[in-house]
Amino acid sequence: MGFSYDEVEDLRLAIDELCFGLTGPTGRHGTVELLYLIDEGSLVVEGQGHFLEDIAPIMLTDLSRVILTALVDEHDLVTGPNGPLFRLLKRRHSNAALAGD
Amino acid sequence: MTEREPLKETFAAYARTGDIVLRDQLVAAHMGLAAYLARRFANRGQPLEDLTQVASLGLLKAVDRFDPGLQIEFSTYATTTIVGELKRYLRDKGWAVRAPRRMQELYLNLSQVVDGLGQELGRSPTIAELAAEVEASEEEVLEALEAGQAYRFASLDSPKSDAEGGEPVGESIGEEDQELARAEQRATLAPLLGQLPRRQRQIVHLRFFGGLTQSEIAHRLGISQMQVSRLLARSVAQLRSLAEDSRSQEEA
Repeated sequence: MGFSYDEVEDLRLAIDELCFGLTGPTGRHGTVELLYLIDEGSLVVEGQGHFLEDIAPIMLTDLSRVILTALVDEHDLVTGPNGPLFRLLKRRHSNAALAGD
Repeated sequence: MTEREPLKETFAAYARTGDIVLRDQLVAAHMGLAAYLARRFANRGQPLEDLTQVASLGLLKAVDRFDPGLQIEFSTYATTTIVGELKRYLRDKGWAVRAPRRMQELYLNLSQVVDGLGQELGRSPTIAELAAEVEASEEEVLEALEAGQAYRFASLDSPKSDAEGGEPVGESIGEEDQELARAEQRATLAPLLGQLPRRQRQIVHLRFFGGLTQSEIAHRLGISQMQVSRLLARSVAQLRSLAEDSRSQEEA
């Protein structure tokens, strides 16, 4: 996709932060399903938590919001009908693509 | 007779007899070499005392394996053995989680290439560019970068090597940006951020409040991009833990 090293590192941290938002500090039994949608110049990652136990409505902490705002262009974490959902969008900002990447 | 002649005779005698007393003499005679080589690796995050022990072990192996019949100086032979021991020690000690050796080597290679290529291009290199530079696939580069998260670097609060005056690295960093500090206050995260080591706090400020990229932070602080990456990841984990502790205390 032509993402730079910087941008890949941002994505790594952002996905980690959102997964942490889903599972919380103590973790939860279940699985997290990730869907990657690749578009020209951007990447969307959608995550869905499937947990065995009922959990309280999920919301991002102040810290998570600050981190995600700095790392990606759009982010969201909501409690859906089948469990928590997150979505992030990262646009390619680097000019590496112009270098023929 | 040169100074080395008695040592050659001792080596020959040790090779013949295996006498431990002779071995101890040979080791003692070359401890200066072991200490010198240990100091050369002293800025890579491990205590000099530990490195000296590893170098001494390498010296012992070299004495045991050296063939005095070969036309090679012992110091040359021993240097190769000792340096090999030190490198192996640092490679193994540096990884918190065991990664395949190829990935370890690729990661260490990338840690140099990322900065070098970044300077050359004037921007952060793409994964494809990194892959081409290290002659690996993009998947391998990504895998190595992921494995690299397990690599433990020296604490930035630990002293530098003796040769660098023992000044903590954090002391060499400039004053914090006042505007970023105010942004921190606005976000009400100050109590958490204040508990991070100074260098990590500064990197968190610059990335999450100042909007600088990792490569810009690396350039500004004079450290590698991968160090910035590791310190950011470590800082986030610490901040989460601190936030959880704070929440627990409030609920108690």
